[in-house]
Amino acid sequence: MTISLESVGFAYETAGRSSPMILRNIDLTIAEGEFLILLGPSGCGKSTLLRLVAGFDHASEGRLQIDGKPISGPGKDRGMVFQDLESALYEWLTVRENVEFGLQIDGVPRQERIERRDAALKMVNLLDHGDKFPDALSGGMKQRVQIARMLAMRPSIMLMDEPFASLDAQTRQILQNQMVSIWTEVGGTAIYVTHDIREALNLGQRIILMSAGPAANIKHSYDVPMDYPRKQSDPLYIDLLERISADIEEEVSKVWQ
Amino acid sequence: MAVIDQSKPAKVGGATKWVLAANLISPLSVLIGLLIWEVGARLFIDPFFLPPVSAIFLGAVELHQQDLLLTHISASLVRILGGWILGSLVAIPIGLLVGSFLNAKRIIDPYIHFLRFIPAIALVTLFIVWFGVGELSKILLVMYATAFIVMVNTATGVVTIHQNKRLAARTFGASMWQIFWRVTIPAAMPSIYVGMRLALASSFLVIVAVEMLAAESGLGYLIWTSKLYFKIDWMFVGIFLLGFLGLLTDYSWKMFGKHVIGRFVRSAANY
Repeated sequence: MTISLESVGFAYETAGRSSPMILRNIDLTIAEGEFLILLGPSGCGKSTLLRLVAGFDHASEGRLQIDGKPISGPGKDRGMVFQDLESALYEWLTVRENVEFGLQIDGVPRQERIERRDAALKMVNLLDHGDKFPDALSGGMKQRVQIARMLAMRPSIMLMDEPFASLDAQTRQILQNQMVSIWTEVGGTAIYVTHDIREALNLGQRIILMSAGPAANIKHSYDVPMDYPRKQSDPLYIDLLERISADIEEEVSKVWQ
Repeated sequence: MAVIDQSKPAKVGGATKWVLAANLISPLSVLIGLLIWEVGARLFIDPFFLPPVSAIFLGAVELHQQDLLLTHISASLVRILGGWILGSLVAIPIGLLVGSFLNAKRIIDPYIHFLRFIPAIALVTLFIVWFGVGELSKILLVMYATAFIVMVNTATGVVTIHQNKRLAARTFGASMWQIFWRVTIPAAMPSIYVGMRLALASSFLVIVAVEMLAAESGLGYLIWTSKLYFKIDWMFVGIFLLGFLGLLTDYSWKMFGKHVIGRFVRSAANY
Protein backbone atom coordinates (compact mmCIF):
# COMPACT_ATOMS: atom_id res chain seq x y z
CA MET A 1 0.00 0.00 0.00
CA THR A 2 1.39 3.35 -1.03
CA ILE A 3 0.83 6.29 1.26
CA SER A 4 0.85 9.69 -0.34
CA LEU A 5 0.68 13.11 1.26
CA GLU A 6 0.11 16.18 -0.89
CA SER A 7 0.68 19.67 0.52
CA VAL A 8 -0.65 18.55 3.89
CA GLY A 9 -1.10 21.19 6.58
CA PHE A 10 -2.51 20.94 10.07
CA ALA A 11 -3.73 23.26 12.79
CA TYR A 12 -5.76 22.38 15.86
CA GLU A 13 -9.23 23.79 15.81
CA THR A 14 -10.86 24.78 19.06
CA ALA A 15 -14.36 26.24 19.12
CA GLY A 16 -14.20 27.14 15.44
CA ARG A 17 -10.98 29.10 15.78
CA SER A 18 -7.79 27.57 14.50
CA SER A 19 -4.47 27.84 16.27
CA PRO A 20 -1.24 28.55 14.34
CA MET A 21 -0.26 25.93 11.74
CA ILE A 22 1.71 23.04 13.18
CA LEU A 23 2.47 21.43 9.83
CA ARG A 24 2.50 23.06 6.41
CA ASN A 25 3.09 21.91 2.86
CA ILE A 26 4.12 18.35 3.55
CA ASP A 27 4.67 16.35 0.37
CA LEU A 28 5.65 12.75 0.92
CA THR A 29 5.21 9.40 -0.77
CA ILE A 30 5.90 6.22 1.18
CA ALA A 31 6.33 3.08 -0.87
CA GLU A 32 4.92 -0.28 0.13
CA GLY A 33 7.30 -2.18 2.39
CA GLU A 34 9.42 0.83 3.23
CA PHE A 35 10.80 1.53 6.72
CA LEU A 36 10.49 5.28 6.99
CA ILE A 37 11.72 7.44 9.85
CA LEU A 38 10.25 10.79 10.82
CA LEU A 39 13.06 12.58 12.63
CA GLY A 40 13.03 16.02 14.15
CA PRO A 41 13.47 18.16 17.22
CA SER A 42 10.78 17.80 19.87
CA GLY A 43 7.68 19.83 19.19
CA CYS A 44 8.20 19.83 15.42
CA GLY A 45 4.95 18.01 14.72
CA LYS A 46 6.30 14.61 13.69
CA SER A 47 3.86 12.84 16.01
CA THR A 48 1.08 15.01 14.65
CA LEU A 49 1.97 13.87 11.14
CA LEU A 50 1.83 10.25 12.29
CA ARG A 51 -1.60 10.83 13.85
CA LEU A 52 -2.83 12.21 10.53
CA VAL A 53 -1.74 9.00 8.78
CA ALA A 54 -3.37 6.98 11.59
CA GLY A 55 -6.58 8.90 10.99
CA PHE A 56 -6.84 10.17 14.60
CA ASP A 57 -6.77 13.78 13.36
CA HIS A 58 -7.81 15.27 10.05
CA ALA A 59 -5.60 17.43 7.88
CA SER A 60 -6.60 21.07 7.68
CA GLU A 61 -5.07 21.38 4.23
CA GLY A 62 -3.97 19.04 1.45
CA ARG A 63 -4.67 15.37 0.85
CA LEU A 64 -3.63 12.11 2.51
CA GLN A 65 -4.25 8.93 0.59
CA ILE A 66 -3.56 5.23 0.89
CA ASP A 67 -3.56 3.54 -2.52
CA GLY A 68 -5.47 6.50 -3.89
CA LYS A 69 -8.19 6.40 -1.23
CA PRO A 70 -8.39 9.36 1.14
CA ILE A 71 -7.78 8.64 4.84
CA SER A 72 -11.00 9.37 6.67
CA GLY A 73 -10.31 7.77 10.04
CA PRO A 74 -8.48 4.95 11.78
CA GLY A 75 -8.57 1.54 10.15
CA LYS A 76 -7.41 -2.02 10.62
CA ASP A 77 -4.87 -1.56 7.79
CA ARG A 78 -2.87 0.70 10.13
CA GLY A 79 -1.57 -0.44 13.50
CA MET A 80 -0.24 1.95 16.11
CA VAL A 81 2.31 1.77 18.91
CA PHE A 82 1.95 4.70 21.29
CA GLN A 83 4.83 6.38 23.06
CA ASP A 84 3.24 6.42 26.50
CA LEU A 85 3.96 3.30 28.55
CA GLU A 86 1.02 3.56 30.92
CA SER A 87 -1.99 4.67 28.95
CA ALA A 88 -2.22 2.52 25.84
CA LEU A 89 -2.60 -0.98 27.32
CA TYR A 90 -5.77 -2.17 29.03
CA GLU A 91 -4.74 -2.66 32.64
CA TRP A 92 -7.72 -4.93 33.44
CA LEU A 93 -6.59 -7.45 30.82
CA THR A 94 -3.64 -9.81 31.01
CA VAL A 95 -0.87 -9.62 28.43
CA ARG A 96 -2.56 -12.40 26.48
CA GLU A 97 -5.96 -10.74 26.65
CA ASN A 98 -4.49 -7.40 25.60
CA VAL A 99 -3.04 -8.98 22.48
CA GLU A 100 -6.29 -10.80 21.79
CA PHE A 101 -8.45 -7.73 22.33
CA GLY A 102 -8.19 -6.41 18.77
CA LEU A 103 -8.80 -9.85 17.31
CA GLN A 104 -11.98 -10.18 19.38
CA ILE A 105 -13.18 -6.77 18.22
CA ASP A 106 -12.46 -7.91 14.67
CA GLY A 107 -14.51 -11.08 15.16
CA VAL A 108 -11.65 -13.49 14.46
CA PRO A 109 -12.73 -17.07 15.32
CA ARG A 110 -11.41 -18.44 18.61
CA GLN A 111 -8.92 -20.97 17.30
CA GLU A 112 -7.32 -18.55 14.85
CA ARG A 113 -7.33 -15.87 17.53
CA ILE A 114 -5.28 -18.02 19.86
CA GLU A 115 -2.81 -18.90 17.10
CA ARG A 116 -2.31 -15.32 15.99
CA ARG A 117 -2.05 -14.12 19.59
CA ASP A 118 0.61 -16.66 20.49
CA ALA A 119 2.54 -16.07 17.28
CA ALA A 120 2.63 -12.34 18.01
CA LEU A 121 3.69 -12.92 21.63
CA LYS A 122 6.41 -15.25 20.44
CA MET A 123 7.78 -12.63 18.06
CA VAL A 124 8.32 -10.22 20.95
CA ASN A 125 9.49 -12.97 23.34
CA LEU A 126 6.60 -12.57 25.76
CA LEU A 127 5.03 -16.00 25.46
CA ASP A 128 6.03 -16.82 29.05
CA HIS A 129 4.48 -13.65 30.45
CA GLY A 130 0.98 -14.06 29.05
CA ASP A 131 -0.75 -14.32 32.43
CA LYS A 132 0.67 -11.10 33.83
CA PHE A 133 -1.21 -7.85 34.10
CA PRO A 134 0.42 -4.75 32.59
CA ASP A 135 1.26 -3.23 35.98
CA ALA A 136 3.57 -6.18 36.66
CA LEU A 137 5.63 -5.49 33.52
CA SER A 138 8.72 -3.36 32.93
CA GLY A 139 8.55 -0.47 30.50
CA GLY A 140 10.25 -2.45 27.76
CA MET A 141 7.84 -5.34 28.20
CA LYS A 142 4.84 -3.01 28.03
CA GLN A 143 6.02 -1.66 24.70
CA ARG A 144 6.54 -5.21 23.44
CA VAL A 145 2.93 -5.99 24.38
CA GLN A 146 1.87 -2.97 22.34
CA ILE A 147 3.93 -4.23 19.41
CA ALA A 148 2.52 -7.74 19.77
CA ARG A 149 -1.08 -6.53 19.83
CA MET A 150 -0.36 -4.57 16.65
CA LEU A 151 1.31 -7.55 14.96
CA ALA A 152 -1.59 -9.85 15.84
CA MET A 153 -3.86 -7.63 13.74
CA ARG A 154 -1.49 -8.04 10.75
CA PRO A 155 -1.73 -4.44 9.59
CA SER A 156 -0.09 -3.58 6.27
CA ILE A 157 1.14 -0.32 7.76
CA MET A 158 2.80 -0.10 11.19
CA LEU A 159 2.84 3.32 12.83
CA MET A 160 5.17 3.82 15.77
CA ASP A 161 5.37 7.00 17.82
CA GLU A 162 8.70 7.02 19.68
CA PRO A 163 7.88 3.63 21.21
CA PHE A 164 11.23 3.25 22.96
CA ALA A 165 11.86 6.89 23.92
CA SER A 166 11.24 6.45 27.63
CA LEU A 167 13.27 3.25 28.02
CA ASP A 168 16.86 2.94 29.16
CA ALA A 169 19.63 2.85 26.56
CA GLN A 170 20.34 -0.91 26.76
CA THR A 171 16.70 -1.91 26.50
CA ARG A 172 16.26 0.53 23.62
CA GLN A 173 19.17 -1.02 21.73
CA ILE A 174 17.83 -4.56 22.18
CA LEU A 175 14.33 -3.57 21.13
CA GLN A 176 15.63 -1.76 18.05
CA ASN A 177 17.31 -4.97 16.90
CA GLN A 178 14.14 -6.90 17.69
CA MET A 179 12.11 -4.37 15.72
CA VAL A 180 14.30 -4.84 12.65
CA SER A 181 14.01 -8.61 12.73
CA ILE A 182 10.23 -8.43 13.24
CA TRP A 183 9.83 -6.05 10.34
CA THR A 184 12.07 -8.23 8.17
CA GLU A 185 9.90 -11.22 9.05
CA VAL A 186 6.41 -9.77 8.72
CA GLY A 187 7.12 -7.17 6.04
CA GLY A 188 4.85 -4.22 5.49
CA THR A 189 5.32 -0.51 5.63
CA ALA A 190 6.64 1.06 8.82
CA ILE A 191 6.57 4.71 9.80
CA TYR A 192 8.61 5.33 12.91
CA VAL A 193 8.81 8.64 14.75
CA THR A 194 11.93 9.44 16.76
CA HIS A 195 14.13 12.32 17.89
CA ASP A 196 17.14 10.01 18.28
CA ILE A 197 19.48 10.12 15.26
CA ARG A 198 21.17 6.80 16.04
CA GLU A 199 17.82 5.08 16.43
CA ALA A 200 16.85 6.52 13.05
CA LEU A 201 20.04 5.16 11.49
CA ASN A 202 19.65 1.75 13.13
CA LEU A 203 16.12 1.29 11.83
CA GLY A 204 15.27 3.33 8.77
CA GLN A 205 15.70 2.87 5.05
CA ARG A 206 14.85 6.51 4.57
CA ILE A 207 14.99 9.31 7.12
CA ILE A 208 12.75 12.33 6.76
CA LEU A 209 14.20 15.21 8.74
CA MET A 210 11.62 17.77 9.74
CA SER A 211 12.21 21.44 10.36
CA ALA A 212 11.41 23.00 13.73
CA GLY A 213 7.85 24.21 14.26
CA PRO A 214 5.60 26.08 14.03
CA ALA A 215 4.49 25.36 10.49
CA ALA A 216 6.99 22.51 10.32
CA ASN A 217 7.98 21.08 7.02
CA ILE A 218 10.19 18.40 5.51
CA LYS A 219 13.73 19.75 5.58
CA HIS A 220 15.73 16.96 4.00
CA SER A 221 15.34 13.34 3.09
CA TYR A 222 18.22 10.91 3.62
CA ASP A 223 18.44 7.47 2.09
CA VAL A 224 20.21 4.88 4.23
CA PRO A 225 21.48 2.23 1.77
CA MET A 226 22.89 -0.13 4.40
CA ASP A 227 22.15 -3.72 5.36
CA TYR A 228 20.79 -4.75 8.77
CA PRO A 229 22.03 -4.96 11.42
CA ARG A 230 23.63 -1.58 11.01
CA LYS A 231 27.19 -1.18 12.21
CA GLN A 232 27.96 2.08 13.98
CA SER A 233 31.58 1.82 12.76
CA ASP A 234 30.54 1.75 9.11
CA PRO A 235 31.95 4.88 7.35
CA LEU A 236 28.57 5.53 5.74
CA TYR A 237 26.88 5.35 9.16
CA ILE A 238 29.37 7.84 10.58
CA ASP A 239 29.03 10.14 7.60
CA LEU A 240 25.22 10.16 7.79
CA LEU A 241 25.32 10.62 11.56
CA GLU A 242 27.47 13.73 11.17
CA ARG A 243 25.44 15.24 8.37
CA ILE A 244 22.09 14.65 10.06
CA SER A 245 23.45 15.89 13.39
CA ALA A 246 24.59 19.15 11.82
CA ASP A 247 21.26 19.45 10.02
CA ILE A 248 19.18 18.89 13.14
CA GLU A 249 21.36 21.19 15.22
CA GLU A 250 20.58 23.99 12.85
CA GLU A 251 16.87 23.42 13.49
CA VAL A 252 17.21 23.20 17.25
CA SER A 253 19.22 26.41 17.41
CA LYS A 254 16.43 28.18 15.49
CA VAL A 255 14.08 27.32 18.33
CA TRP A 256 16.49 28.56 20.96
CA GLN A 257 17.07 31.96 19.35
CA MET B 1 -12.52 -13.28 37.28
CA ALA B 2 -8.99 -13.52 38.40
CA VAL B 3 -8.14 -13.19 42.02
CA ILE B 4 -5.21 -10.93 42.61
CA ASP B 5 -3.45 -11.42 45.84
CA GLN B 6 -0.53 -9.11 46.31
CA SER B 7 0.24 -10.21 49.83
CA LYS B 8 2.71 -13.00 49.42
CA PRO B 9 3.45 -15.30 52.34
CA ALA B 10 6.69 -14.32 53.97
CA LYS B 11 9.40 -16.89 53.40
CA VAL B 12 11.83 -16.21 56.20
CA GLY B 13 10.89 -17.34 59.72
CA GLY B 14 11.74 -14.00 61.30
CA ALA B 15 9.74 -12.14 58.69
CA THR B 16 6.69 -14.37 59.32
CA LYS B 17 6.86 -13.55 63.00
CA TRP B 18 7.05 -9.87 62.23
CA VAL B 19 3.99 -10.09 59.92
CA LEU B 20 2.07 -11.85 62.70
CA ALA B 21 3.10 -9.20 65.18
CA ALA B 22 2.16 -6.44 62.74
CA ASN B 23 -1.31 -7.96 62.37
CA LEU B 24 -1.76 -7.69 66.12
CA ILE B 25 -1.12 -3.95 66.28
CA SER B 26 -4.65 -2.88 65.27
CA PRO B 27 -6.55 -5.25 67.65
CA LEU B 28 -4.18 -4.28 70.44
CA SER B 29 -4.74 -0.59 69.79
CA VAL B 30 -8.52 -1.12 69.96
CA LEU B 31 -8.20 -3.16 73.15
CA ILE B 32 -6.13 -0.49 74.87
CA GLY B 33 -8.59 2.21 73.77
CA LEU B 34 -11.51 0.26 75.23
CA LEU B 35 -9.59 -0.35 78.43
CA ILE B 36 -8.84 3.35 78.90
CA TRP B 37 -12.54 4.04 78.36
CA GLU B 38 -13.62 1.39 80.86
CA VAL B 39 -11.28 2.60 83.57
CA GLY B 40 -11.86 6.30 82.84
CA ALA B 41 -15.63 5.89 82.86
CA ARG B 42 -15.57 4.00 86.16
CA LEU B 43 -13.21 6.30 87.99
CA PHE B 44 -13.68 9.85 86.74
CA ILE B 45 -16.97 10.26 84.89
CA ASP B 46 -20.61 10.08 85.91
CA PRO B 47 -21.72 6.75 84.38
CA PHE B 48 -25.02 8.38 83.39
CA PHE B 49 -23.19 10.54 80.82
CA LEU B 50 -20.58 8.07 79.72
CA PRO B 51 -21.26 4.47 80.73
CA PRO B 52 -18.26 2.13 80.82
CA VAL B 53 -17.85 -0.30 77.94
CA SER B 54 -19.04 -3.20 80.07
CA ALA B 55 -22.34 -1.43 80.77
CA ILE B 56 -22.83 -0.82 77.06
CA PHE B 57 -22.20 -4.48 76.38
CA LEU B 58 -24.75 -5.44 79.04
CA GLY B 59 -27.17 -2.99 77.43
CA ALA B 60 -26.72 -4.82 74.15
CA VAL B 61 -27.40 -8.15 75.85
CA GLU B 62 -30.51 -6.67 77.44
CA LEU B 63 -31.74 -5.45 74.05
CA HIS B 64 -31.06 -8.83 72.54
CA GLN B 65 -33.10 -10.54 75.26
CA GLN B 66 -36.03 -8.29 74.34
CA ASP B 67 -35.56 -9.33 70.67
CA LEU B 68 -34.85 -5.73 69.76
CA LEU B 69 -31.17 -5.82 68.81
CA LEU B 70 -31.34 -7.79 65.57
CA THR B 71 -34.61 -6.10 64.63
CA HIS B 72 -33.04 -2.67 64.74
CA ILE B 73 -29.85 -3.80 63.03
CA SER B 74 -31.61 -5.52 60.16
CA ALA B 75 -34.09 -2.66 59.71
CA SER B 76 -31.28 -0.15 59.26
CA LEU B 77 -29.10 -2.46 57.21
CA VAL B 78 -31.85 -3.32 54.73
CA ARG B 79 -32.59 0.37 54.18
CA ILE B 80 -28.91 1.27 53.85
CA LEU B 81 -27.89 -1.53 51.51
CA GLY B 82 -31.13 -1.43 49.51
CA GLY B 83 -30.93 2.30 48.93
CA TRP B 84 -27.21 2.18 48.27
CA ILE B 85 -27.45 -0.55 45.63
CA LEU B 86 -30.55 0.87 43.94
CA GLY B 87 -29.08 4.38 44.02
CA SER B 88 -25.88 3.14 42.41
CA LEU B 89 -27.81 1.24 39.75
CA VAL B 90 -29.51 4.48 38.78
CA ALA B 91 -26.38 6.61 39.09
CA ILE B 92 -23.83 4.53 37.18
CA PRO B 93 -25.59 4.61 33.78
CA ILE B 94 -26.25 8.34 34.16
CA GLY B 95 -22.62 8.97 35.12
CA LEU B 96 -21.38 6.94 32.15
CA LEU B 97 -23.69 8.86 29.85
CA VAL B 98 -22.69 12.27 31.19
CA GLY B 99 -19.00 11.38 30.99
CA SER B 100 -19.22 9.98 27.48
CA PHE B 101 -21.48 12.33 25.59
CA LEU B 102 -21.13 16.09 25.60
CA ASN B 103 -24.79 16.67 24.89
CA ALA B 104 -25.87 14.36 27.71
CA LYS B 105 -23.57 16.36 29.95
CA ARG B 106 -25.09 19.63 28.78
CA ILE B 107 -28.61 18.39 29.50
CA ILE B 108 -28.08 16.57 32.80
CA ASP B 109 -25.16 18.42 34.41
CA PRO B 110 -27.13 21.42 35.75
CA TYR B 111 -29.48 19.09 37.62
CA ILE B 112 -26.65 17.02 39.08
CA HIS B 113 -24.72 19.99 40.38
CA PHE B 114 -27.82 21.71 41.75
CA LEU B 115 -29.32 18.68 43.45
CA ARG B 116 -26.15 17.22 44.88
CA PHE B 117 -25.76 20.24 47.16
CA ILE B 118 -29.19 19.76 48.69
CA PRO B 119 -28.51 17.38 51.58
CA ALA B 120 -30.79 14.37 51.79
CA ILE B 121 -31.51 15.41 55.38
CA ALA B 122 -33.18 18.57 54.09
CA LEU B 123 -35.60 16.38 52.13
CA VAL B 124 -36.58 13.98 54.91
CA THR B 125 -39.86 15.68 55.86
CA LEU B 126 -40.76 16.34 52.22
CA PHE B 127 -40.19 12.71 51.26
CA ILE B 128 -42.33 11.58 54.20
CA VAL B 129 -45.14 13.82 52.97
CA TRP B 130 -44.71 12.53 49.41
CA PHE B 131 -44.01 8.85 49.97
CA GLY B 132 -45.40 8.17 53.44
CA VAL B 133 -43.76 6.97 56.62
CA GLY B 134 -43.07 3.46 55.28
CA GLU B 135 -39.93 1.93 53.83
CA LEU B 136 -40.33 3.63 50.43
CA SER B 137 -39.46 7.11 51.63
CA LYS B 138 -36.45 5.78 53.54
CA ILE B 139 -35.01 3.79 50.66
CA LEU B 140 -35.58 6.71 48.30
CA LEU B 141 -33.71 9.04 50.63
CA VAL B 142 -30.74 6.69 50.82
CA MET B 143 -30.85 6.38 47.03
CA TYR B 144 -30.80 10.16 46.78
CA ALA B 145 -27.87 10.46 49.18
CA THR B 146 -25.96 7.78 47.28
CA ALA B 147 -26.72 8.60 43.69
CA PHE B 148 -24.98 11.93 43.23
CA ILE B 149 -21.72 10.79 44.78
CA VAL B 150 -21.65 7.73 42.51
CA MET B 151 -22.72 9.79 39.51
CA VAL B 152 -20.00 12.41 39.88
CA ASN B 153 -17.33 9.77 40.51
CA THR B 154 -18.44 7.70 37.54
CA ALA B 155 -18.48 10.67 35.17
CA THR B 156 -15.08 11.80 36.45
CA GLY B 157 -13.77 8.29 35.87
CA VAL B 158 -15.00 8.36 32.30
CA VAL B 159 -13.58 11.75 31.37
CA THR B 160 -10.17 10.91 32.83
CA ILE B 161 -9.74 7.80 30.66
CA HIS B 162 -6.65 8.39 28.56
CA GLN B 163 -7.57 8.91 24.92
CA ASN B 164 -4.91 6.41 23.81
CA LYS B 165 -7.15 3.62 25.15
CA ARG B 166 -9.96 4.61 22.83
CA LEU B 167 -7.63 5.39 19.92
CA ALA B 168 -6.01 1.95 20.20
CA ALA B 169 -9.46 0.35 20.06
CA ARG B 170 -10.26 2.39 16.97
CA THR B 171 -7.19 1.04 15.17
CA PHE B 172 -8.73 -2.41 15.73
CA GLY B 173 -11.89 -1.22 14.00
CA ALA B 174 -13.97 -0.95 17.18
CA SER B 175 -17.36 0.76 16.89
CA MET B 176 -18.41 3.50 19.32
CA TRP B 177 -20.61 0.93 21.06
CA GLN B 178 -17.77 -1.58 21.38
CA ILE B 179 -15.51 1.13 22.78
CA PHE B 180 -18.20 2.06 25.32
CA TRP B 181 -18.64 -1.51 26.57
CA ARG B 182 -15.12 -2.80 26.29
CA VAL B 183 -13.00 0.26 27.07
CA THR B 184 -15.03 2.99 28.78
CA ILE B 185 -16.86 0.85 31.33
CA PRO B 186 -13.91 -1.28 32.50
CA ALA B 187 -11.61 1.75 32.56
CA ALA B 188 -14.11 3.68 34.71
CA MET B 189 -14.56 0.81 37.17
CA PRO B 190 -12.04 2.08 39.76
CA SER B 191 -13.85 5.42 39.99
CA ILE B 192 -17.26 3.75 40.21
CA TYR B 193 -15.92 1.50 42.94
CA VAL B 194 -14.47 4.36 44.98
CA GLY B 195 -17.63 6.43 44.47
CA MET B 196 -19.78 3.63 45.84
CA ARG B 197 -17.49 3.28 48.82
CA LEU B 198 -17.83 6.96 49.67
CA ALA B 199 -21.58 6.81 49.09
CA LEU B 200 -21.91 4.00 51.61
CA ALA B 201 -20.91 6.39 54.40
CA SER B 202 -23.54 8.92 53.28
CA SER B 203 -26.19 6.21 53.40
CA PHE B 204 -25.45 5.73 57.09
CA LEU B 205 -25.70 9.46 57.70
CA VAL B 206 -29.09 9.89 56.11
CA ILE B 207 -30.73 6.72 57.41
CA VAL B 208 -30.06 7.70 61.03
CA ALA B 209 -31.63 11.10 60.43
CA VAL B 210 -34.75 9.55 58.88
CA GLU B 211 -35.10 6.92 61.57
CA MET B 212 -34.94 9.57 64.27
CA LEU B 213 -37.73 11.56 62.66
CA ALA B 214 -40.10 8.92 61.35
CA ALA B 215 -39.56 5.24 62.05
CA GLU B 216 -40.60 2.46 64.36
CA SER B 217 -37.34 0.58 64.05
CA GLY B 218 -33.70 1.01 63.14
CA LEU B 219 -30.60 2.19 64.93
CA GLY B 220 -31.53 5.86 64.58
CA TYR B 221 -34.88 5.07 66.19
CA LEU B 222 -33.11 3.20 68.99
CA ILE B 223 -30.78 6.11 69.72
CA TRP B 224 -33.63 8.62 69.66
CA THR B 225 -36.05 6.69 71.86
CA SER B 226 -33.39 5.66 74.40
CA LYS B 227 -33.38 9.30 75.45
CA LEU B 228 -37.03 8.97 76.50
CA TYR B 229 -36.22 6.14 78.89
CA PHE B 230 -32.93 7.67 80.09
CA LYS B 231 -31.21 4.56 78.74
CA ILE B 232 -27.87 6.15 77.91
CA ASP B 233 -26.29 2.70 77.60
CA TRP B 234 -28.81 1.74 74.87
CA MET B 235 -27.99 4.99 73.11
CA PHE B 236 -24.36 3.94 73.10
CA VAL B 237 -25.30 0.50 71.80
CA GLY B 238 -26.89 2.19 68.78
CA ILE B 239 -23.90 4.50 68.26
CA PHE B 240 -21.46 1.63 68.59
CA LEU B 241 -23.40 -0.53 66.16
CA LEU B 242 -23.41 2.20 63.53
CA GLY B 243 -19.65 2.36 63.63
CA PHE B 244 -19.34 -1.38 63.69
CA LEU B 245 -21.75 -1.98 60.82
CA GLY B 246 -20.00 0.73 58.82
CA LEU B 247 -16.68 -0.97 59.40
CA LEU B 248 -18.13 -4.33 58.42
CA THR B 249 -19.88 -3.22 55.22
CA ASP B 250 -16.87 -1.17 54.15
CA TYR B 251 -14.59 -4.12 54.74
CA SER B 252 -16.90 -6.39 52.77
CA TRP B 253 -16.89 -3.93 49.89
CA LYS B 254 -13.11 -3.84 50.04
CA MET B 255 -12.90 -7.63 49.92
CA PHE B 256 -15.40 -7.66 47.05
CA GLY B 257 -13.11 -5.23 45.22
CA LYS B 258 -10.00 -7.23 45.93
CA HIS B 259 -11.26 -10.71 45.22
CA VAL B 260 -14.32 -10.56 42.98
CA ILE B 261 -13.67 -7.63 40.64
CA GLY B 262 -9.95 -7.50 41.38
CA ARG B 263 -8.71 -7.17 37.85
CA PHE B 264 -10.70 -3.96 37.39
CA VAL B 265 -10.12 -2.19 40.68
CA ARG B 266 -7.14 -3.83 42.32
CA SER B 267 -5.17 -0.67 43.04
CA ALA B 268 -8.29 1.22 44.17
CA ALA B 269 -9.08 -1.56 46.66
CA ASN B 270 -5.70 -1.33 48.32
CA TYR B 271 -6.83 1.21 50.88
